[in-house]
Amino acid sequence: MKRRNFLKGILYGTGGTVALVGGFGTFNNLDSNKAEAASQDLETTVFSSCEMCRNQCPIAVKVKDGKVCKIEGHPNDAAFGGVICARGNAGPSLLYDPQRIKKPMIRTGERGEGKFKEVSWDEAYTYIADKLYNVKDQYGGEAIALASRKGPHDWFFRSIGKALGSPNVFSHEATCPMTRSVALETTFGNEAIAADYANTKYLISIGRNWFEGIHVAQARAVSKALSNGAKLVVLDPRFSVTASKGEWLPIKGATDLAFVMAMANIMIRENLYDQAFISQYTEGFDKWAEEVKDKTPEWAEKETGISKEKIIQITREFAAAKPKAILDFGWRTAYTPNDYQLRRAILIVNMMIGNLEVPGGYYTTKPANFLKSFSDQAAYAKGLGSVAQPSFPKASKGRIDGTGVKGTPGQIIPAYDGAVGKIAESILTEEPYPIRAWLVHRFNPYISLTGSMRMVEAFKKLDLLVTCDVYMTDTAYFSDVVLPECTYLERYEPIFDMSGLTPKYVIRQPAVPLVYPDTKPYWQIYKELGEKMGLGDYFKFKDMEDYITQQIAPTGLTLAQIKELGVWTPPGMNAFYVRANDSKASLDSVLSNQSKKIEIFSEEVEEATKQGVPKYVSHPQPEEGKFRFVQGKVAVHTNAGTANVPILNELMPTNTLWMNTVSCRKLGLNDGDEVVISSGTYEQKGKLKMTEGIRPDSVFCYHGFGRISPELKRAFGKGIHDNYLIPHEIGEVGNAVTSTTFVTVRKA
Amino acid sequence: MAKKYSMIINLAKCIGCQACTVACKFQNNVPEGQFRTKTPANGLKGTYPNVSQYFVKEACQMCQKAPCVSVCPTKASYYNEDGVVLIDVDKCVGCKYCMTACPYDARFLNKETGAADKCTFCYELKVSNGEKPACVSTCVGGALMFGDLNDPLSEASQFLAKHKGEVRKPELGTHPNVYYIYEGVVK
Repeated sequence: MKRRNFLKGILYGTGGTVALVGGFGTFNNLDSNKAEAASQDLETTVFSSCEMCRNQCPIAVKVKDGKVCKIEGHPNDAAFGGVICARGNAGPSLLYDPQRIKKPMIRTGERGEGKFKEVSWDEAYTYIADKLYNVKDQYGGEAIALASRKGPHDWFFRSIGKALGSPNVFSHEATCPMTRSVALETTFGNEAIAADYANTKYLISIGRNWFEGIHVAQARAVSKALSNGAKLVVLDPRFSVTASKGEWLPIKGATDLAFVMAMANIMIRENLYDQAFISQYTEGFDKWAEEVKDKTPEWAEKETGISKEKIIQITREFAAAKPKAILDFGWRTAYTPNDYQLRRAILIVNMMIGNLEVPGGYYTTKPANFLKSFSDQAAYAKGLGSVAQPSFPKASKGRIDGTGVKGTPGQIIPAYDGAVGKIAESILTEEPYPIRAWLVHRFNPYISLTGSMRMVEAFKKLDLLVTCDVYMTDTAYFSDVVLPECTYLERYEPIFDMSGLTPKYVIRQPAVPLVYPDTKPYWQIYKELGEKMGLGDYFKFKDMEDYITQQIAPTGLTLAQIKELGVWTPPGMNAFYVRANDSKASLDSVLSNQSKKIEIFSEEVEEATKQGVPKYVSHPQPEEGKFRFVQGKVAVHTNAGTANVPILNELMPTNTLWMNTVSCRKLGLNDGDEVVISSGTYEQKGKLKMTEGIRPDSVFCYHGFGRISPELKRAFGKGIHDNYLIPHEIGEVGNAVTSTTFVTVRKA
Repeated sequence: MAKKYSMIINLAKCIGCQACTVACKFQNNVPEGQFRTKTPANGLKGTYPNVSQYFVKEACQMCQKAPCVSVCPTKASYYNEDGVVLIDVDKCVGCKYCMTACPYDARFLNKETGAADKCTFCYELKVSNGEKPACVSTCVGGALMFGDLNDPLSEASQFLAKHKGEVRKPELGTHPNVYYIYEGVVK
């Protein structure tokens, strides 16, 4: 004990870390596959990035006696300051979980029966290759679909599908932030817009929940703004933790657009908007003014249940704080079928206070290629390179979801993402043609997509379902082949471009050798599968160190340097806002559309959906005895990802159904009662939480529970699975629809 | 000069995210099912829609007149030179007197060592090396502060000079070294 403390004192006493001091950080230089457990009585630090959710926060992994003993936030990244959330802290719990999958497996029983045999990687690759080529020969490459939780693995994973001629590659985004991406793309021609929370004075959330759906840097920035006196207003049918830190307005579900349009109405009527900004940078404002002309606070009060006085007060306060005010465009943006119009309207109201490219408002991220056109910033423009790939064969058919088809809503669906829910529909209806094989990478359609039983039906009809993940997920349980990926703490990945107000590059590197030797990093899995299938030309790199070396060559950084630093931003560069010092500065570099205007009226949206400016659609409200079913995130879990992670499961093994006290009384229900929640077609059982923190016409549960894979031994069978109850509806731009389902509740 | 290490918990800033809870588990190797600290919600107050809620980090209050120390028959519980209440695992016989005596329910019998266990302010692993306790350095909301109240320039002293810090159950005369700031929350 004493000796260890003495040594740690030397290494840490000056506030530096082993890796930065250099010399001691030898573990950083070990290859994960060759590394021998460094049996020393020293704690070393490996800088890497987290993957307990998909935000890739920079971390400092503490390794002792060859084991990860603790994880902290990266101390030298100001946005993190050594901080990481509960899930990030829980990383070692996932790494050493004996319930991870450890060997490739091929199904031997019926689908969903859970009977598998362990096989070698070669057998698994051969099986997948044969089946994929069978499907391709019989139905064409387009009959193969790929879906992943969006991330750096896409380059490798998608190469398999694209090389086989499939256009049907999807991200998970349609289940999460896609409508905001659509809104950003059609308004600015640029999806890479972020909010400068730390410097804002007034922040309005429309269901955004920074303190439970935690993105560490954003949560810290919002927290900082609040410490500096910013006002926070939260519109949410449920009293979230975020709502508890500000003024809670329990808005009637699915009426958010009414509130936003009324804000515009008031700002125009009272002349509270930035006319100079609107005339210099935007087009179509007159059409918007026309659209909101009758969207008065009186009207909005009836729609939203928020008093007109309150709507007026908040609008005036928001406008008075301009441009340091943010009406947040949200994260999981899939409330209604036309959710993208809510997001468009939010962006437009923000532009009415001219809060683009100024501190405390919105900004476009500043990767190296962005900086090139600014003479005073060009010195910081050190971009990443890429690994060359031959061109992919042209797909012989269009995508199943119509993405990219002009004159249809598909025109504005982001091509990279697509409408992932369409895969199941195509399998089941064979429209526009059938999908026969589905490759899934770290994505769990059973939990993440609505209409869970529709997913199960679809799984059962496939010729091939392959899942690559760290656990036997619910979807893996129905798969033909299950591929065990190693965790983020055991692998390299391509350098992430995480540019914000400055360029920023982050590495992921192994902290320890493989815990289960038959697991592999995804890049190796898809490279080896590709080579087995004769597609090796698409994977022209030796290993990930070689890949990274090719990637960072143009920056002048070496692999050794980025490994030692973990995170890199151009030395000496300050946060860059294009309009910080010149409110008339050109935004041409921010606006990547043809018009070089902020398109309040969007020609593209007009072409796609005949709604060039957002129009109000009144969604039904629950009748007496029924409840709007809403869902949300909790700080100790990540969506479909962490329910079975030991320590997080220990902290929160299950969820409950929140119901207002008055509604409970009416139904004769009490706190803690076992209840049945029914959507008409489907039912789930759960425990009731009686609370004052929810609208009486709504019920709520946290997402990610009610798992059906018995191999998730801790999470199996616990809690309510929200998406089981929600019908599989695909929204106007391919988005999931989460908040328009009504349920009844009765005692079990 | 001896230190007077204290933790300050600014309740308005706590988001109940449990980063502290998990960081503590790994920093201190706390067995499954046991916790040195946890941060539960303090119940929801008020009636819809006028409601409020805050979270309260619970752990050893580092009393300067600690009942756990005075009842310990083997002197396993003790104050160290910086006023931190610690447990000498080798001396502890697991009699649980301290657990009964603690008015804050902060102690438990460690499943693996068989000895009484509780928060140590990460004294040996962090604080004695000039670092902050694991919970403080991972706090997402920025609710936790730590420092030496004998040093008037420490962040903790400076903060307490401007804000009213309250100790839990002051009527018991235990003189805790953990201060709660209730500004901005509905008590």
